[in-house]
Amino acid sequence: MDTVLEATDLTKHYEDFSLRGASLTVRKGSVSGIFGPNAAGKSTLLRMLAGQTPVPDGTLRVLGQSYADADRDLKNRIGYVPQEPVFYENRTVEWHARFAAPCFARWDGAAFHRLLEDFRVNPLKKVKHLSGGQKKLLSLALAFSHGAELLILDEPTAGLDIVHRRSLLDRLRALANAGDTTVVVASHITDGLDEIAEDITFLHDGRVVLRESADDLATNWKWVIYKDGSIDRAVEERFASVRRQPFGSRGLTGDFPAVREALAPALASGDARLDHASLEDILLSFIKGA
Amino acid sequence: MFVVLSPTHPDPMYKQVTDQIKDAIASGDLKPNDRLPSVRELSEALNVSAITIKRAYQDLETDGFILTRAGMGSFVAPVERDALRERKLAEVQEELRRLVRSSTKFGISAGDIARLARQIEGD
Repeated sequence: MDTVLEATDLTKHYEDFSLRGASLTVRKGSVSGIFGPNAAGKSTLLRMLAGQTPVPDGTLRVLGQSYADADRDLKNRIGYVPQEPVFYENRTVEWHARFAAPCFARWDGAAFHRLLEDFRVNPLKKVKHLSGGQKKLLSLALAFSHGAELLILDEPTAGLDIVHRRSLLDRLRALANAGDTTVVVASHITDGLDEIAEDITFLHDGRVVLRESADDLATNWKWVIYKDGSIDRAVEERFASVRRQPFGSRGLTGDFPAVREALAPALASGDARLDHASLEDILLSFIKGA
Repeated sequence: MFVVLSPTHPDPMYKQVTDQIKDAIASGDLKPNDRLPSVRELSEALNVSAITIKRAYQDLETDGFILTRAGMGSFVAPVERDALRERKLAEVQEELRRLVRSSTKFGISAGDIARLARQIEGD
């Protein structure tokens, strides 16, 4: 499998925050999700991946190159949508397309206008009259219209209504499935992005605390609902989080295949049963456990 | 008593509560005249609204599984074992229907399943 992006030990210190040794591998044609609470370092990491901010420490190769000695075409091949896109407020949407066109070697004006139509953004409107969600859509339309092979999107669903969010998720999945486009998204809430992300990275306090494929997460992480005293103490002690209730407890295991044997008797007798663990449940266990 | 709700379960919360209390009665975990937790106690423990638990208790009472005495709380009714057996049989039938349908696709007959069931019972 081709690797589109390879980041090793990316580190950056700010006065009040540090990104500490973030590593990440992104396969061609995949959708990677970077999740984490507010101020976990997601935007810092994404700006580095997109070449918007230098990498003081660690190595980063994107599309086979490093930004330090990249050819001028590298940024053409990347579509970056910042968390808070900035535009010329007094200019129209259309003006921004004319402004963007000469910057990108493979600018596709027709595609841009089709996207605006899909997103229901009026090209003649001034940016200052757009809602927050529409600004995000404009930023996405720009990123999708210059033949980028790698899309790096910071909170792409923020501010979007359910219809636009769904259509964006479908579009991202379709782009990745077509094989030539790779998508990296970051979000502080799972918000449907967990449905399309095949590889999950979880950032917390500037560190990568979890890197797993979505398939492995589904195999390894389960809620065990059990009658108190019905399961092995050793298993109980290894739960990533436990919610004790007077009428039965819930324990979250991050290594289900390893405890399957030990749980088998309780599962067979009905003293325990399994429940699906959502990405949100899993991520919360890291935040609360830390 | 063992009641834990699952947000991903297709059944509504009140139905999950009634089903699990019925199971507890059927298995003998809850015996006739046992006192059930109050609506408030259970809603707080399960982190759901009191209305959900009230609805569950009302349904249980209508179906004859519990009795509610004003000012005293809810108690397990002296349920007839036959009624519980009927209910379980209906459940088993539903599960067997699924099992038999999916198994026949693999050439596993109802007879094979019956043999397996007897074998498990003997274990």
